[in-house]
Amino acid sequence: MDKTLSRWSLLLGTVTAIMMVWNLYNIFIFVPTEKSMGIVQRIFYFHVPSAWVAFLAFTLTFVYSILYLWKKNPWHDRLALCAAEIGLLFTTIVLLTGPIWARPVWNTWWSWDPRLTTTLILWFIYVAYMMLRNYTADEQRGARFAAVFAIVGFLDVPIVYFSIRWWRTIHPKPVIMGGEGSGLHPDMRYTLMFSAATFLLLMGFLLIQRLRLEKARVELNNLKCELAY
Amino acid sequence: MANLGFLFAGFVVVWVLLAGYMFSLSVRQKKLSREVERLKQQQSKK
Repeated sequence: MDKTLSRWSLLLGTVTAIMMVWNLYNIFIFVPTEKSMGIVQRIFYFHVPSAWVAFLAFTLTFVYSILYLWKKNPWHDRLALCAAEIGLLFTTIVLLTGPIWARPVWNTWWSWDPRLTTTLILWFIYVAYMMLRNYTADEQRGARFAAVFAIVGFLDVPIVYFSIRWWRTIHPKPVIMGGEGSGLHPDMRYTLMFSAATFLLLMGFLLIQRLRLEKARVELNNLKCELAY
Repeated sequence: MANLGFLFAGFVVVWVLLAGYMFSLSVRQKKLSREVERLKQQQSKK
């Protein structure tokens, strides 16, 4: 397993690094500047893909939490944990880049708007999930609690996604599949999609690294048990 | 070129978080590997 992970990790790391350089070229040189917001709108090409990748990571946590409760395979639980940690990282990026973009455009850092508030709640849910993992003494019991918590907590993901369609908000409307009046200039759409693909690979790379860490932790625990008896 | 500072701050945040997370993964991995090696040596002495 370790050899396979190493090979995938090296391949993914190389491809992701090349794509990230290309992505930076697209964002800073290739894509045209948006008319009303100006140069600061380029944050969009990191902000939106980070949100998509975070949603995907939390979906993985949700699916693997269900699988863990069903099959009781500890690797399902570990994968759920690793994906949650990475989802939390990308949600943090979303929550920090959003206000930096909002300040010059909305003239405020933060607004208790449905999209922003539900995203902040999502962040707190997964911080609580990580705390639950770290502070439960019995590992198996903690994993079960965490799996149930992750399944219930995932309900906030579709709420965040649909919040800009369901409620009146100052957050921009969806630019992909947003219906009439929405959409992007073809160059902007290409840059966004390329950035999303790059972030997806980055997520895969980080997930593999985090799984390797989990594998080492399991090995350490097994060794400790062997030495104790 | 107005708001260049905000754009710069946004990208710094992204890179600091990503680099920080990768650094933390590497530190945790090294710490665990060292501990595994130490226990393996202890086991072989037994």
